[in-house]
Amino acid sequence: MASIGRARRLGLPGLADYGLPVISFVAGVAVWELAAELFHVPAYLFPSPSAIARVFFTGHVNWMHQTLITLNEAVTGCVIGIAVGFAIALVITLSPILNKILMPYIVGLQVLPKVAIAPIIYILLGFSNTSRILLIVILTFFPIVINVSTGLTDVDRNLIFLLQSLRASKATIFYKVRLPNSLPYFFDGLKIGVSGALVGAIVAEFVSSNSGLGFLILNSQYTFNTVAAFGAFTILTVLGLLLYGAVVLLARQLMPWYRSG
Amino acid sequence: MPSVVVLEHVGKCYTTVKGNEVQALKDVSLSVQQGETVAIVGPSGCGKSTLLRLIAGVEEAGSGNIRRETAGGQFVVGYVFQDSSLMRWRTVYDNIRLPLEVVKKPDLGNVDRLIEMIGMKGFERSYPIELSGGMQRRVSIARAFVHEPAIILMDEPFTGVDELTKEALQTELGHLIRTLNVTALLVTHDIEEAVFLSDRIFVMSHRPGVIVEEVPVHLPPARDPSTRSTPEFVAAANQVRARLLAMQAMRVDAAT
Repeated sequence: MASIGRARRLGLPGLADYGLPVISFVAGVAVWELAAELFHVPAYLFPSPSAIARVFFTGHVNWMHQTLITLNEAVTGCVIGIAVGFAIALVITLSPILNKILMPYIVGLQVLPKVAIAPIIYILLGFSNTSRILLIVILTFFPIVINVSTGLTDVDRNLIFLLQSLRASKATIFYKVRLPNSLPYFFDGLKIGVSGALVGAIVAEFVSSNSGLGFLILNSQYTFNTVAAFGAFTILTVLGLLLYGAVVLLARQLMPWYRSG
Repeated sequence: MPSVVVLEHVGKCYTTVKGNEVQALKDVSLSVQQGETVAIVGPSGCGKSTLLRLIAGVEEAGSGNIRRETAGGQFVVGYVFQDSSLMRWRTVYDNIRLPLEVVKKPDLGNVDRLIEMIGMKGFERSYPIELSGGMQRRVSIARAFVHEPAIILMDEPFTGVDELTKEALQTELGHLIRTLNVTALLVTHDIEEAVFLSDRIFVMSHRPGVIVEEVPVHLPPARDPSTRSTPEFVAAANQVRARLLAMQAMRVDAAT
């Protein structure tokens, strides 16, 4: 922090905020490239950045196709996960009884590493797209439930008093106070949710699939095609950044009144 | 002058999380006349906020009777809280307009008039996060006036505001109360605030809250910062302070 402050004082705010991360990234890639060159690391063990870059143009893999398959699964599962998560959050905040009844399942699912159930989903639902989406939904809806239900309950008591004193109905209090109050919580949940969706998509493809980036990685393992696996990592990193960035942008657009931290 | 609110022997008990009964208020009787500002001064935890919630109808009184006089229509209050309690997702304009929306009254220019009066013209489209603490308080005060409520309830409205801003805000609030000729009930532990803003002061004891004394404030309705150094102001403040100190001494005696 201190050195960033110094950089700002030196009139280099752009460099401190954006330049340094870029320089750090470029330097890291350069060192990696040089090291691979210098020590003759075989590409099947740890490919160099240039080798990874070349793999996108070799033509053995239809990258766009595989990427779209994974992205499609992740986004579909994520959207369903949001809807399911929101619905459950509504139910457990509106009905204290249902909250108590559902509590053991919610807590149970929360502590269980959810990827562990992936193989069993296929026994239950077969090796289908539905099974893959279901796993992604399970990984996404959870942070939504927790965050949205917190956001709907964690409300300024005074605002509730204020509306009650004006004889507002429970429904009015809900959509004028609770719902807007939950919005920042929702987006925080969604940030976790979108990364969960990608994890879900890859795990689902590991367990059963013949396409997508997860399948590609697994296949690379069998054929010692490490470069292709690294290609997939690169694309996954970019996808993760894009999804996260989209959530951040949407949040900023919908909540100009909100500043986190 | 007709009364707006009359409390007769009002009491209120709470059950704590541990299951203990706590008497917050005991046998409180008072009335607020139309157009006057009444202050209730008491130590922290004397049930002042509870009293306001009972008058607002947000909670039910345990015993006694609360009469709310309305000249036609519903009895609706205006509320000013300890912290400004604004909706951070609403602009200044929309925060002030909120009570009108809830009671389904048309906005006949009240919002704009109040924004003008609190000196916040140009900030209509700002969000609370963009305002200073003092500005946020002003907006929360305007919100309490906008729907022309039967009575304005103020729960330690300037807690946590620095001394200079507080005095400025008190002057503005007093001006607003006089100009709009409203009825107001202020609870506070700030003696000077009570004297500066009100026509009558009730001193309340520690839990269970009981009214122990009524102190009249012999000051003209129009007040400004110089009012604070008049003999009448000092006399009223001293009378309230003496009563509070005497009660505190009794509690210390009882505890030892």
